[in-house]
Amino acid sequence: MSIGARTKRFDGPSKVDGTALYPGDIPLDNPLHAKVVFSNRPHARMVSMDTSSASAVPGVVTIVTAADVPMNEYGLTMFDQPVLVGVDGTGRSAVPSDISRWEADQIAVVIAESIEAAVAGAEALVVAWEDLPIVPDIDAALTGDTLVHGYNGKPTNVFYDYKIRRGNMAEGWAAADVVVEATYEMPHQEHAYLQPEAAVSYIDDEGRVTVKIAGQWIHEDREQIAHALDIPDDEVRVIYPAIGGAFGGREDMTLQIVMALAARKVHALGIDRPVRSVWNREESILGHHKRHRARVVTKWGATFDGKIVAVDADVYMDAGAYNYTSNKVLGNFHVAIAGPYAVPHVRIDSMAIYTTTVPGGAFRGFGAPQAGFVCESQINKIADALGLDPYEVRRRNLLGEGDPTITARPLPIGITMEQVLEECATRTDTWRESAAERDVRPFASLPPSDSAVRTGTGIGIGFKNVGFSFGFPERCEATIELGGDSDEYDSATVFHAGADVGQGAHTVFAQMAADALGLPVEAVGREMSDTATSGDSGSASASRLTWMAGHAIGEAAAVAQKAWGDGDRPARGHYRYEPPSSEMIDPDTGEGAPFITCGYVAEAVQLAIDVETGHIEILRMVCVTDAGRVVNPLLAEGQIEGAVIQALGYTLTERLVVHDGRITNPRLSGYLIPGVADIPRDLEVVNLELPDPQGPWGIRGIAEMPMIPCAPAVIAAVHDATGVWIDEFPLTPDLVRKHLRAAGIT
Amino acid sequence: MEVSLTVNGRNVSSDVEPRTLLVHLLREDLDLTGTHVGCESGYCGACTVHLDGKPVKSCTMLAVQAEGADITTIEGLANGELHAVQEGFWERHGLQCGYCTPGMIMSAAGMLAENDSPSEGEIKHGIEGNLCRCTGYHNIVKAIEYAAAKMRGDEPAEPEWEVSS
Repeated sequence: MSIGARTKRFDGPSKVDGTALYPGDIPLDNPLHAKVVFSNRPHARMVSMDTSSASAVPGVVTIVTAADVPMNEYGLTMFDQPVLVGVDGTGRSAVPSDISRWEADQIAVVIAESIEAAVAGAEALVVAWEDLPIVPDIDAALTGDTLVHGYNGKPTNVFYDYKIRRGNMAEGWAAADVVVEATYEMPHQEHAYLQPEAAVSYIDDEGRVTVKIAGQWIHEDREQIAHALDIPDDEVRVIYPAIGGAFGGREDMTLQIVMALAARKVHALGIDRPVRSVWNREESILGHHKRHRARVVTKWGATFDGKIVAVDADVYMDAGAYNYTSNKVLGNFHVAIAGPYAVPHVRIDSMAIYTTTVPGGAFRGFGAPQAGFVCESQINKIADALGLDPYEVRRRNLLGEGDPTITARPLPIGITMEQVLEECATRTDTWRESAAERDVRPFASLPPSDSAVRTGTGIGIGFKNVGFSFGFPERCEATIELGGDSDEYDSATVFHAGADVGQGAHTVFAQMAADALGLPVEAVGREMSDTATSGDSGSASASRLTWMAGHAIGEAAAVAQKAWGDGDRPARGHYRYEPPSSEMIDPDTGEGAPFITCGYVAEAVQLAIDVETGHIEILRMVCVTDAGRVVNPLLAEGQIEGAVIQALGYTLTERLVVHDGRITNPRLSGYLIPGVADIPRDLEVVNLELPDPQGPWGIRGIAEMPMIPCAPAVIAAVHDATGVWIDEFPLTPDLVRKHLRAAGIT
Repeated sequence: MEVSLTVNGRNVSSDVEPRTLLVHLLREDLDLTGTHVGCESGYCGACTVHLDGKPVKSCTMLAVQAEGADITTIEGLANGELHAVQEGFWERHGLQCGYCTPGMIMSAAGMLAENDSPSEGEIKHGIEGNLCRCTGYHNIVKAIEYAAAKMRGDEPAEPEWEVSS
């Protein structure tokens, strides 16, 4: 049995001996070097760009500008961004090409014989701008004084919204014995994958514009490139070599389209050389999207026995300069505001708002962490207000099979929130009895005084939809070829487009194929992540890839086995899996069943806080997930541990500073992701492996769930320790001290 | 400027600009791309190599500062078979995307060369200068414990999953 085996990842040897090739490592014969030029203007109209001086810089070969983009528009779910900002656009897009709406809007690609020459060329570009008013945040955006996308005809910067109208709010408030109101502020988060963006492009032997890059969905990359270049999809080839982390941050385009343009322009000049571009860390942080910052103003009502009877919320999500996936993120955010709880009376209005700041987009959790912070903080406050145990108040509100959610339909079958919650309760049972450690590692040079250190515990729970939802046409393809000289096949090759972003997807694909075919996993070869050899897998995102690929690989195996039995040699099986469809929710009432399936999570933390310095140390943490049947526990546990630490970074240290439309700390020295010294002393990861009735082999999904309940659990623990609720994060010492001081803890 | 040094046991000379960083000499002139660039500010440690046996961050050193030095990169760590630290990272799943891994391994190997019986705290201290965004570090510490045991000639401890089940 290959399912459930702790198979070591196949790319392990190449990643420990330095031979794995990330996009910037690919050996090239006589490459050209490309420098992508950012506008460096949060909001401005380009008046002119003179490339003559830049072109004259020794070593500069050519410069790609807006004039080179046949269809100068980009967008995963709506076209609202010029690929390159420029005055000489082709005019074939409805999006005006001459306006920069973000400091990292791209304006040109300088291609040269050396990196130094490309940089010198970039510096020699002469660009004249007419600055426009900066729209730095949602408060400024909501005034409507300056429209970021005025051409769209809407008199507002709100460009997407969802509603929920359920029950009768007056009845809800009448039934409420306690009301909890708050305004929550959720911060940006930077993906900070260790590998900054890099790409190689060239025209391949079959004349295809070819881009090797680290991404999350090769067919979407191909489609976006083909759209901008205005050529058929099959004239574009995208290949993923080793990918240095993604977490949602490689879902939108950075170098994909412009490097395809670069290859084509170089080729058109009769130069048959590949082009390479490698971003530095600053370019990476400035140049790709972030987890959305957001504000939620909310009010919940509950009865004395802890039943939630009313939820009212306004969600303001800062989408930044362009939509990216904001309309989809907002949908997830919106329907997760009441968490895994049954609520009879609900009003929620959610809106995505343009500003002239870095776009928000996909990041592990996709709106659910923001919603989870709101929801779980609210229910923790209700428990506190009523003097109820936080586990017990959750038990009294959990959605069971068939119970209508706030969108009036049940969650998909196989709900295991209760089991996950109870496992977390069991695992933390002894926490209150055992004397909590009171020592905290000194933050300052002196150890803290004993009286300053307090300890507390907190919990949060949540769920995450697996797969694209809200009616998106999901699909995943797989092809299997069987080999062998005798009557029985003895080897196989899996062809799959799915991205191994580090999670180990390619190892897992082979394990699933091996299991389906009755072969040892070593007998399964892999042809991966090349649009020239594989059909569309959909993205490595939404915790979906193993679930979708499992269905496709299992079916493709059956097709291949039949072909083998029919005497085909080679015996090939191809399958395009399309899951049961999900629904878009009703625009007026929010009714609908938006999800295909879900995974569940609960997290509990025990922390020490030095109230004099505001320093927090996580002492113990438990993460209980139900990822369904696990194909490879070695990989799954590692992925969950990594997600928990990323969630702690989001909660405690990762503060992106955005001022007047500009990120002012685009470096790892100023944006602090967790180091080894920041991890909890004791982290327990538990996976219940309750099979998803719809999942292949009972698989659900793993990637995102641990991201969701961490921040509210930590904040509940801070409250437990200090009596102070904090409705914003990251909990940097200065922020913690601000709140403690305001509460009279000096 | 001419710079001469030993890289992975091989004598090399290269004509570099004075501003050339050691990491760029390694990656671009010598095609040793296992040494990665993650931040160019000495913060992430993905570029860690050994200089005269000690871990250094090759993105914050000029190539000319390595004149006469003995450099070992991730490509030179294995000696026919994987170094114990490399083996540990694969055996105990101390990597996911793998981009930080060469630097992490070089830091760990440098630490273990000085102390083959580090405590958990000493291991953590030894890799404080290396960032990883995927693993949460837990398995990295386990991988280094595995390597330490191998280097001492001991049998590595049973993995956690064998112990707990």
